[in-house]
Amino acid sequence: MGIGLRQPHYAELLDSLPALGFVEVHSENFFADGGAALAVLQQARKHYPVSLHGVGLGLGSAAGLDPWHLDRLARLVDRVDPARVSDHACFARAALHGGDVVHANDLLPIAFNDASLALMVGHVSQVQERLGRTMLVENLSSYLSFSDDSMREPEFFAQLCRRSGCGMLLDVNNLMVNALNAGVRDPVAHCRAFVDALPMGIVGEIHVAGYCQADDLVIDDHGSRVRPEVWALCAHALQRFGAVPVLVEWDTDVPALAVLLSEAAHAESLSHG
Amino acid sequence: MDEARRQRDLLHALGGTGIDGLREQGARAARGLAAYRANAEATADRALAAAFATVRAMVGPEDFRRLARAFWEAHPPQRGDLGEWGDAFPPWLQAHADLAAWPYLGDCARLDLALHRNERAADAALDAGSLTLLESTDPARLHLRLMPGTTLLRSAWPVVSIHRAHQLDPAAADPAFAAVRAAIAAQVGEDALVVREGWRAVVHPLAGAEARWTEGLLSGANLDDALRSAGASFDFAAWLQNALRRQWLNAVVAVHDGPQALHGTPS
Repeated sequence: MGIGLRQPHYAELLDSLPALGFVEVHSENFFADGGAALAVLQQARKHYPVSLHGVGLGLGSAAGLDPWHLDRLARLVDRVDPARVSDHACFARAALHGGDVVHANDLLPIAFNDASLALMVGHVSQVQERLGRTMLVENLSSYLSFSDDSMREPEFFAQLCRRSGCGMLLDVNNLMVNALNAGVRDPVAHCRAFVDALPMGIVGEIHVAGYCQADDLVIDDHGSRVRPEVWALCAHALQRFGAVPVLVEWDTDVPALAVLLSEAAHAESLSHG
Repeated sequence: MDEARRQRDLLHALGGTGIDGLREQGARAARGLAAYRANAEATADRALAAAFATVRAMVGPEDFRRLARAFWEAHPPQRGDLGEWGDAFPPWLQAHADLAAWPYLGDCARLDLALHRNERAADAALDAGSLTLLESTDPARLHLRLMPGTTLLRSAWPVVSIHRAHQLDPAAADPAFAAVRAAIAAQVGEDALVVREGWRAVVHPLAGAEARWTEGLLSGANLDDALRSAGASFDFAAWLQNALRRQWLNAVVAVHDGPQALHGTPS
């Protein structure tokens, strides 16, 4: 089981070296040529496997991948030899302002249809070829979706993994956030059905996190403890897929390290349950 | 629908236009768009605050957030690493009509940006063996290469004093700000050297001769020309001792090694 390596915990984590299966970082935070953050990551790498989790490739962008971004990611992979490399099934880059391609720096939703699947397959293959390794692609929490989707999301991921050779990073909190925002009658059953619809063998990492309610929308803010229903989904996924690494994500209002470690310990107990 | 058009339309919609083809309708669609807009605003604020701490302290967090949002719309990021975003922020601030009463703000932002860039620059150490070139080689064929990320900012405003006043505890800041206000009123220019000290980028004020010397080095001048531009008052031996002690110097490079050796980033 793993936790995110975040700046408020750098010193304490590296001093105490708690028992963890891995630490996770957002790849883009370590794209600089040098500096303190990169030194900390390389120090952590001496003690833990690292999961490089990207938020900026924009794998579903019709405008294509940014070669600069891919070069920086490849350099980081060379530097830390990560256990896993992942990013999201989203778009981020699009042409605006008279043709300039801008980067939204957000995880924007893609349609689930043949055209976007073809885009994703091509871009994931491009990344894997450049890195010389397979990657994992994560399902989004999204606040908007498209009315002309032609396939269900589990089918989209099944085909993406089969055609590109990538794996899936299953975020069970995102499933719950989407189900709640869609107003489905039984969110837990809806999410379990999503998990059950995924082929065996494609899930390479599971994410859990907290969410919050803001007015009439559930926000995937990674700012609190994992909700009981999300833990239950995680347990269900572990039961189905076996001993898959689980990451506890906590990115806003980052708590004391001990709190994060207690969440990771709970994830560990589920994997043995 | 064509995926490129769909994605372009959604990105436009985040800027305030309407969009067709969403499953969500009415208030629920508006709420979804608002969530993404709020995220973009928070992201812009956070990214620029990390790079422009002095500017944020000067204008205050609320105005800074508004400026960040306007800058995001005027100069949206083109990279997925926000640490690379913001090069255009200093000239944009300088040209901003609402900030005309603060003509020094652009240079303060340039100094913030130099500090930010320095902390992201490649790590390097002194090539001690290269120092022997100082004894064996014609100065006209030598160049002193400073550490990656070293920057000189020559300003018509007291940018070092402004920066330092904002680093002080509030209790100690009042006299410093009084001195800053006087220096701004008299338009006292200052030259700022940005270097790394440990892992942190720091600012050193430079006097005229040392500023001209550093400017020469950073422009790639050979040792002979850099000394000439520094002027007779410049004490090279004292500078070298200080530069070695503070780890400003990366290497002495023989110019005939070619432009790559002169300007290349050391590994």
